[in-house]
Amino acid sequence: MVPKHCFLGFLIGFVLTGGGEPQPAHESMNPLRVQFQSRNFHNVLHWQPGRAPSNHSRIYFVQYKKYGQKEWKNKAECWETQELFCDLTDETSDLRELYYGRVRMASAGNYSGWSMTRRFTPWWATNIDPPVINVTQHNGSVLVVLHAPDFPYRHQKGTNVTVENYYDLVYRVFLINNSLEKEQNIYEGAGRVVEIGALMPHSGYCIVAEIYQPMLGRSSQRSEEICVKIP
Amino acid sequence: MAALQKSVSSSLMGTLAAGCLLLIVLWVQGGTSVPITSNCRLDESDFQQPYIINRTFMLAEEASFADNNTDVRLIGDKLFRGVHVKKHCYLMKQVLNFTLEEVLLPYSDRFQPYMQEVVPFLVRLSGQLNQCHIMGNDQQVQRKVQQLKDTVKMLGESGEIKAIGELNLLFIALKNACI
Repeated sequence: MVPKHCFLGFLIGFVLTGGGEPQPAHESMNPLRVQFQSRNFHNVLHWQPGRAPSNHSRIYFVQYKKYGQKEWKNKAECWETQELFCDLTDETSDLRELYYGRVRMASAGNYSGWSMTRRFTPWWATNIDPPVINVTQHNGSVLVVLHAPDFPYRHQKGTNVTVENYYDLVYRVFLINNSLEKEQNIYEGAGRVVEIGALMPHSGYCIVAEIYQPMLGRSSQRSEEICVKIP
Repeated sequence: MAALQKSVSSSLMGTLAAGCLLLIVLWVQGGTSVPITSNCRLDESDFQQPYIINRTFMLAEEASFADNNTDVRLIGDKLFRGVHVKKHCYLMKQVLNFTLEEVLLPYSDRFQPYMQEVVPFLVRLSGQLNQCHIMGNDQQVQRKVQQLKDTVKMLGESGEIKAIGELNLLFIALKNACI
């Protein structure tokens, strides 16, 4: 009974993973440099073509899974694709999880073997873009409004988890006094509106911001610098 | 003055009485609100040290490159399934001690320079959980820990590499369970 089950499992696995093709895999055709590139928690699988007869088209098949799962899942949108990338943002949206992706190629009726990524941890691997800042001034004080990059998680009504808390991010705002050439970190927190008061009249200031991941001690690049003149 | 003393002592008596009453109430409730673990706590500040967190993650990453077994995972939902949430920290203490004694120490000359920085950090966490105990029956926790140990042993050297590759998961699980 047990061996029979195993055989059935094998058959099902074979059909699921291989598309049931009878040919042996051609390892030399395997896609190369299969890796996740992650920006603002948008996780996109990229790869390069393996070897194939040059005048034949190449198509690719993408699968993914969580580390520890036995079965691979097909990514429908990247099944028989001709692209060299595949957006797996939705499939890898659990920040603290670990994932794998893999790709195989078919060309001229031959299938390559699977090429797999390294273990992928979204929140550890992602690169975060700087915030965009809007600066307005009135009555000698300056109001800085911070905009996060386009993250997949959107703050939902009825929940109290903001985008910033969800991703465990804070903003850092720096004030540069032009005449003293001195830079000061005047704000660090998850709030999107920062008011800077007590500025000296007739002085010039520049404001710049970044996004900081406290647990990793990592900062984004800095935002565009915006300068104001206090009347 | 005497009156003041009297009021102080009577309020003290009142507090004592209230305390006794509270104890009785807890006792009558059958101990459901009595903690089932004690001293199972880590400081939030232990998990706010970017340098050592990065080192721990780099060590895990390095080891995970050498772990080709994507199907088997030591620290995940399965480890905690069926274990009361109040016992999670105690469970993780056991996993941490096992990892230190049976995995990291034998491998202490590999994965340098990360290993020499991460091990003392984990030893310190283990020390802080020294007094973490469980009241009553811990069979279920022991069974879970044994399963993990058996998996590592069964996989042999690649099981130990897997355990090192999961130090990031160990770290996160300790944080979630013990803060």
